[in-house]
Order: sequence, then structure tokens, then C-alpha cells
Amino acid sequence: MANKVLLVDDEAGFTQLLKMNLEKSGGYEVMIENDSTQALATALSFQPDAIVLDVVMPGMDGGDVQAQLQQSPRLSKVPVVMLTALVDSAELSEGAVAQAGTTTVLPKPVDLNLLLRVLEEVLPEG
Amino acid sequence: MQKQSLVESVLDNLPVAVFAKDATDDFKFVLWNKKQEEITSLRAVKALGNDDYDLFSEESANYFRSVDKAVLKRGKLLKVPEEIIDTKHRGEVHLRTVKLPVKDEKTGHDLVVGISEDITEQVQSLRQLEHLNKNLVKTNKELADTQMQLIQAEKLESIGRLAAGVAHEVKNPLAMILLGVDYLSRGIDPDDGNVETILTQMREAVERADRIVRGLVDFSSQRALSREPVKLDLVIEEVLLLVRHELTRTTTNVVIDIEDNLPHVFLDMSKFEQVMINLVINAVHAMHDTPRGELLIRGRSERIKDVIKNQGARKFEVFREGDRVVILDIIDNGSGIEKGDVSRLFDPFFTTKATGHGTGLGLSVAKKIVALHGGNLTLENREDGKGARARLILPTEIDTGKVSLVPKLLKEIDT
Ligand SMILES: Nc1ncnc2c1ncn2[C@@H]1O[C@H](COP(=O)(O)OP(=O)(O)OP(=O)(O)O)[C@@H](O)[C@H]1O
Ligand SMILES: [Mg+2]
Repeated sequence: MANKVLLVDDEAGFTQLLKMNLEKSGGYEVMIENDSTQALATALSFQPDAIVLDVVMPGMDGGDVQAQLQQSPRLSKVPVVMLTALVDSAELSEGAVAQAGTTTVLPKPVDLNLLLRVLEEVLPEG
Repeated sequence: MQKQSLVESVLDNLPVAVFAKDATDDFKFVLWNKKQEEITSLRAVKALGNDDYDLFSEESANYFRSVDKAVLKRGKLLKVPEEIIDTKHRGEVHLRTVKLPVKDEKTGHDLVVGISEDITEQVQSLRQLEHLNKNLVKTNKELADTQMQLIQAEKLESIGRLAAGVAHEVKNPLAMILLGVDYLSRGIDPDDGNVETILTQMREAVERADRIVRGLVDFSSQRALSREPVKLDLVIEEVLLLVRHELTRTTTNVVIDIEDNLPHVFLDMSKFEQVMINLVINAVHAMHDTPRGELLIRGRSERIKDVIKNQGARKFEVFREGDRVVILDIIDNGSGIEKGDVSRLFDPFFTTKATGHGTGLGLSVAKKIVALHGGNLTLENREDGKGARARLILPTEIDTGKVSLVPKLLKEIDT
């Protein structure tokens, strides 16, 4: 069965394009949540294998969402990929990846190949 | 010395020059009082018995003669508001003269009697005043130019601070375009229904990036103040495009509440965006320690009478009762304003921000720009004490049009 990925980002167009790419190139089953305040509820019902989270969103930012996820016993082990425009790709030295626990931080704009690679790494064999 | 007759001594003590010429005897001078000696630097003994051609330049003499003839012809008094004579000791002397025809009863000769007042000093001070005035107008113009430069300098500074955020805003559509390219470059199945969606998204992304960049370019351009009727929604939309990153970065929630059918406001888009950006950024800064930042932008239209009533007999110098105005409030739930700072908010360089975080020019420039639009800007704490409210009151009528801008600017500088 395909791995399930949840995309949480307020940019509808962006998530739509990312979803299509992840489905096509990664073979994942992808769900979109554009409202960060609904992220926890959606995650609980969708039970994703990985969550891709935008750090800066109106209402609730990625950090808040991540904190909520960590507190949920059913989701705290799910790997999270945070996308942030706040760090420069240059700062994260050449396409590098910052990692802390189950969370991986990727710079925005996201490099699709890099995201696919990271997802492959953090996800269990599909 | 000959004993003077009463008439002669009266004439010599008059503060005005008095002279007479005998038209029947080749316009020779027959009267020349003391004051006339003083003004012309010519003694009576030299003048009497001679005519204008003996005493003055030919050009002047021609002129005097033509006036004398006109007086005789008309047979009545003639006023010469200003005439100039060349004198030996005082150079050009300006005179105000009346000339009148008089018949000498004894001899039957026609006389032309002249009475002249020396107005040289008056003329000179008038000239000086005109000169000063010209300088003043020039200085005012320079001040107005300087003010425009100050406004532009402040704008460049906020552009500098916005640029990073705007760059981020452009990154998003660019990322979408990239995702589209990624998808399309990995081979396309002819039946793939996604392709159309992707192309639409890519087109929209290009348009969005273009709009953001163009917004910044338009905003940065320096043009002379030019006002046009503008829909307020449009200004707000443009402003939010430029400050969007500041708002999302700080997870500020923005609520826009603009009354339907708000009348157009008459303003310079780019300058007014500058005002709005300053106010929004100020609000964002004030909400730095607020867990849930809420920014409310509210626009409505009222008659000025109601505004005054609602604001408790406050005076507006720029508006008349009954004027229709647009009131634009920018309300935050930030720190509010310290009591002691209230009177200094609009002072240039007043800032409570750390060095490097604020120059303190924002509000002073914003106020200047709003004044140039014939409007009013205030900033005060919310009545419920939960933050601050910036209020713009803007005229909607076109009759405060372009012509009045410069005088208004000059008046601003005077005070
Ligand atoms: N919405 C607000 N709430 C509370 N205080 C405010 C608000 N807006 C402005 N102020 C106060 O007014 C001061 C002056 O504002 P102003 O915009 O003129 O300068 P600045 O924001 O400090 O610097 P600059 O705008 O030049 O970057 C601010 O430092 C702040 O103390
Ligand atoms: Mg400011």
C-alpha cells in the first residue's frame, strides 16, 4: 500500500501542484490541508506516514502545528518535514537538510528532488 | 537777501515741491520752491527763467513738455502717479506729481503748476519688498522640494525594509512554476488530466509574481504628486501585496471591513501606499508580543459633522461641516501607546524602537503626506485599551484639486 503524506500549507495552488508531483513521482497518497488550525484534526483522521508542513502560515504557524502533533500519542512518531522560507538555502549549506528528532527542515522554495529524497529516507518501505 | 512775501514763505515751507512754468513764454520756469530745489538738486536762481530743456535731459524734457501740453489742452488737473527725474546729487528720484493749468490774471499768461511728492523711498522699499517676496517664494519652493525629497527618502527606506519580504512573496509563485516544470518534465501521459490544472496554476503564478514585483516598482517610483480618484479597496489590496510577508511571518490575522459603495478618494496612489505601509508596519511592530495579532482595516464614509460629534467637539481645520469624508481606521491589538509618548508620536525621529529598527520618520512623513491630500491622521489608544488605532480622514470631493496642493504645502511649511 502507498505511503500517505499530508501537506499542510495555506497556499492552495502550491499544495495542489506539490500533491500532483508527489503522486506522480513518489507514488504517494497525498492529502491537502490548507487551514493550519484544522491540521491536527485532519492528521488524526487521515493517519499520514509523513507530514509536510509550512512554517509560516496565518492563524497558526508550523511550529504550533508541530507542537500539537507531538502532543498527540498517535502522531508524535510521524516524521515531519518543515518547509521554511525563513532560512535561506544558502544558510543550510548547498541543499543540505537540518534535522532534529523526527523533524526535517527544508528551505523554501522547495526542491522537489530533495523533498522526494527526504521523504524516501524518513518513510518506512512502501 | 530779498524779503519774502507771505506766499513765498508758505511755499518754501511746504513739504512738497511746487513749481510753475509759463506756457505763454516758452514754458520757462516762473516758480521753484525750496523743496523743489532739494529734490532736483537745482537752485531756484538757476532754474527760473530757463525751461526743461535747459535743466534736464532731452528725453525727460520731451516727456515733461508733452504732459504740460496735455494739461493745458484738457484744461484740468492731471495726476502722474510716478515719474523719474535724473538728479545731480541723488541719482534717480521718483516723484508723484499733479499738474494743473492756471491762468495768470494779471498777464493773461497760461501757467502749468506742478506739485511733486518725493516717493523715492517708498518705491525703493516696495522694490525691496518685491525682491524679498520673490526670494520667499523661491525658498518656499525649495522647501517644498526638500519635503518631497524627504518623503521619497523615507519611502526608499521602507522599500529597503520591505524588499526582503517581497522577495519571499515572489519565491512562492516561483516555487509553483518550478513544481509545474518538474511535473511536466517527467513525461506526460496524453490522458493526464492534471496538465491543464498545472498550466493554469503556472500562468497564475507568473501573473502573481509579476503583480508583486510591479507593485514594488510602482511604489518606488518618484513622481510628482498626482492625484486621481481611487477606490480604497484597490489601495489596500496593493498595500497588502507588499506587506503580506510581514503579516504572515508574524502570523497576524488581517480583517478588512470596507463599506460597500465607499466613495472614491482623491489621492496619489504611490504616496498613499507609503502612508498605509507605514501604519501597517507600525501596527505589526506593536503586536510583536501579542500572541494572536489582529489587524483590522476598516473603511467607511461619513459627513464631517457626524465625525466631529463622534469625536467630541474636535476641531478639523481642513474640513468643513457637511463635507463627505472617508474614514479609514487601522486598528491593532498591540502594546498601545505610553501616555508620555502621545504628544511626540508625530515628531520626526521620535521612536521607541531599538537603534536600527526604526528611524522615527514613519509617522511624521505619513502625516505630511496625508496633509498634502487635505486629510487628517491621528494615532491613539483604543478605547478598550487593547491596542492602538490609526485614523485617516480623507476628503472625497474633487474640488480640493491639484491647484490647491502647492499653496497648502507652502502653508504647511510656514507653520
Ligand atoms: N500602532 C502603534 N501602536 C503603538 N505604538 C505605535 C504605533 N504606531 C507607532 N507607534 C509609536 O510611535 C513611534 C513612532 O512611529 P514612527 O512610525 O514615526 O517611527 P518608527 O516606527 O519608530 O520608525 P520608522 O517608521 O521610521 O521605521 C513608534 O516608535 C512607536 O513607539
Ligand atoms: Mg514606523
